[in-house]
Amino acid sequence: MKAAGLSLDVRRELCVICGEEQVRERDGGPIVVLPASAEEVAAVLRLANECRLRLSPAGSDTAINPSGKQPDVVLNTTRLTEVEHYDHADLTVGIGAGTTVARLQALVGAEHLLFAADPALPDRCTVGGLLATASHGPLRHGYGGVRDYCIGIRFVTGGARRAKGGGRVVKNVAGYDLMKLLIGSYGTLAVITSASFKLFPAPRETKTFLTEFSGAAEALRFRDQLMRSPLSPMCLELVSPGARKLMRPEMAGDAWVIGVRAAGSDAVQARYRKELGSAVTRELEGDKERIMWRAIEDFPAACGQMSKDERRKEGARNVCIQISVPPSDVLRIINLLNTPDDRKNVSVGFIGRVGVGHVLAVIQISSEEREPLRLVDNLRREFKDNLSVKLDSASKPWPIPPANLTAMRAVKQALDPGNVLCGREIF
Amino acid sequence: MHFPRVVDQLRKIAGRDAVLDRPEDLMLYEYDAGVRKCTPAAVVFPQNTQHVSAILRLASAAGFPVVARGAGTGLSGGAIAPKGGVVLAFARMNRILEVDAGNMRAVVQPGVVNQQLSDCVAHLGLYFAPDPSSQKACTIGGNVAENSGGPHTLAYGVTVNHVSGLTVVMPAGEVVRFGGKGAESDGFDLTGFFVGSEGTLGVVTEITVRLLRRPERIATLLAIFETVDDGARTVSAITAAGITPAALEMLDGWTLRAVEAACQAGYPLDAGAVLLIELEGLTEQVEEQAEAVRKVALEQKAREVRRAKDEIERGLLWKGRKNAFAALGRLAPSYYSQDGVVPRTKIPAALQFIGLVGKKYGLRIGNIFHAGDGNLHPLILFDPRNPAQLELVQAAGAEILEWCVSAGGSITGEHGIGLEKRDLMPLLFTDDDLDVMLSLHNAFNAAGTLNPGKLFPTARMCRETTGPSANPVLSSEGM
Repeated sequence: MKAAGLSLDVRRELCVICGEEQVRERDGGPIVVLPASAEEVAAVLRLANECRLRLSPAGSDTAINPSGKQPDVVLNTTRLTEVEHYDHADLTVGIGAGTTVARLQALVGAEHLLFAADPALPDRCTVGGLLATASHGPLRHGYGGVRDYCIGIRFVTGGARRAKGGGRVVKNVAGYDLMKLLIGSYGTLAVITSASFKLFPAPRETKTFLTEFSGAAEALRFRDQLMRSPLSPMCLELVSPGARKLMRPEMAGDAWVIGVRAAGSDAVQARYRKELGSAVTRELEGDKERIMWRAIEDFPAACGQMSKDERRKEGARNVCIQISVPPSDVLRIINLLNTPDDRKNVSVGFIGRVGVGHVLAVIQISSEEREPLRLVDNLRREFKDNLSVKLDSASKPWPIPPANLTAMRAVKQALDPGNVLCGREIF
Repeated sequence: MHFPRVVDQLRKIAGRDAVLDRPEDLMLYEYDAGVRKCTPAAVVFPQNTQHVSAILRLASAAGFPVVARGAGTGLSGGAIAPKGGVVLAFARMNRILEVDAGNMRAVVQPGVVNQQLSDCVAHLGLYFAPDPSSQKACTIGGNVAENSGGPHTLAYGVTVNHVSGLTVVMPAGEVVRFGGKGAESDGFDLTGFFVGSEGTLGVVTEITVRLLRRPERIATLLAIFETVDDGARTVSAITAAGITPAALEMLDGWTLRAVEAACQAGYPLDAGAVLLIELEGLTEQVEEQAEAVRKVALEQKAREVRRAKDEIERGLLWKGRKNAFAALGRLAPSYYSQDGVVPRTKIPAALQFIGLVGKKYGLRIGNIFHAGDGNLHPLILFDPRNPAQLELVQAAGAEILEWCVSAGGSITGEHGIGLEKRDLMPLLFTDDDLDVMLSLHNAFNAAGTLNPGKLFPTARMCRETTGPSANPVLSSEGM
């Protein structure tokens, strides 16, 4: 088998670094290398610089490759799973980037603690992938994004330098905040090898209140009312009728739903019931509650898969667009995407953390390859600086070059001067 | 360029009355709230982003260092200019440009005082969460530069968690915009990266901040202990009970007596330590948590747990806490405040170590700190007229910070590195770590025009940069 035209010397070197069994080749595809330590990651990156290889870090089969070009080497982080520190009384944990989110959640859950990230497919999604893509799920509303509770990060830069930012305490402003720089950088600057996080006490009891509305405008008016109330739910999620159908056929219905998940005692839940009033149509707890939120968490992945399947067919296909705008612009986004345009692009469904201005839209578009980019371009014109867009779940960032490309290039040059990491075409 | 010509140019840019260069005026800008001093060559007061851009273009061309300054309340020497440097004082860029209540955002200039923003949006039921003790004076620009915290950052996070967009003037004068009102923005999170960069990468001229809704109910408890150890153990016990207070502050007995003498806040004079615990949120939730905290504190040998019965009592307790640094001025001519952080379970051991350091150096050290997140503020009292004592104080401070790092902590939780702790950075960071940070510094500020000599160890900066920090090129008649 010959992979990606790499020389035998390169393959041999990779085997020396990581062991023969940890260098895998697929016919015609990139070499996949699985280092077991930060030292090995650094050695692989040194080799990539010496041989001018294109390298893409990856977690569980969701290779991040913003350029769309195939890398020479995929650096798979799934063997980086060491627990570096777990201080449950301090509510902090440091763990290898290849650990799955589900494993981390289980580890801390045993001590009644919460790792507040709930991305799609937690059994596969790695901590490194979560950080690199800044992915989030419904808990984003109540606990913030991963940028808010990642307290330290260890990494190897594209230039093969092992370094760290932050530390393992919850409050720390020493040095530059490299966590912020690497979170959401899609593996274009460095390979994250491990990270430390602030944990939260796990809520002992939760309940979900489902409220139903005849349209998006009415649902968002309710959101505004809720945001002005004293309530501070863990999750606040909008689900459109189309999304309900896509998520689970048995959840299909004509109403726009806002799910409000609240933590607290019976007295607290009673207060939620009172404040939410007659809009509440159902209350969920236990398994039913977990299943519903899991379906919402996994929705981007399900849509991503659906989109890939559709792409193989002729004609129209579905595309997922993740959008972040100021909360007051959510309705404008939904209305804009919900109006079929002259190319007959049609919205299929919306979900979103609408309290923080997040919307995930599934759009049925024409088969033309550049059509999604045209759509994103139109949104950018309309919303300017106050818009962030991701196409097809989180695997393709920056569909249109961001406004701050000059500053980003300076950062890229500082950390990855050989341009070996993915994204070289963007920069 | 000869310096008087620089002053002329600065006056052309910002106005005749917007530049100070007389020695008696400059003296007011030679210090912050820390212990270092250096007189700047001039002070200029820009009034808009264009002024800042023009000043930085001039600095870049003429080769003089520029240091941005808010209210000068920083504790790490971050706003002190190097010899020959010009202070960019933001006192005249102090407008709240926009309040967007619907999106819970405000856009402010860097000279806006922290407390003024919260006062301005109070009628909307909103506030700005970062609350440094100096919030009545410190500016939001300074908060951004140092990534400032405060008591309530235990629940709500430090400044970076409350900033979504920045307008920044880069060292050569280019104006760029990072982020906006949305929670996320495309590309790298340069907003997050620039917050806390201590004015070494660019000069911020507009800040989009996140506002929070005022809680329905606030309960302020004062748990009184016979010993510091009992108080310190209660901190972990509260967390273990699954409660995250909005604030969890500790004062040792010695400090609280000084505070009480100055503020009459209602602290017990015979206690070994007190915890000031604030719970916020939905009424039902707060009442349950208040009862749970009271129970936990009593289990951990609290002598008594009091609750502020109204806003006046609450205000007094916080007045005592927030004026504590100043209150210690009654006991000694000056103090040196440290800002180490330890994992919160290490607080009892840290306090014991601080006690030993005090004995070793023969110094009086008070403790008043953010116990909930392990952010210690040992206050070492001294007389600055005695240079030998200052050396001892700094050695004692460094020893405490070294211990914090050995316990898994950090050398600063909210004050920043600045001048004061730059040579302690190698305690936390390896050569490679610092090289990576320096490469990022040089990506934006290679000439070292902006705030030179801060954040990086002295030796490294001298070796790695060739700009004004290493080679001051100006002479000033005023110096």
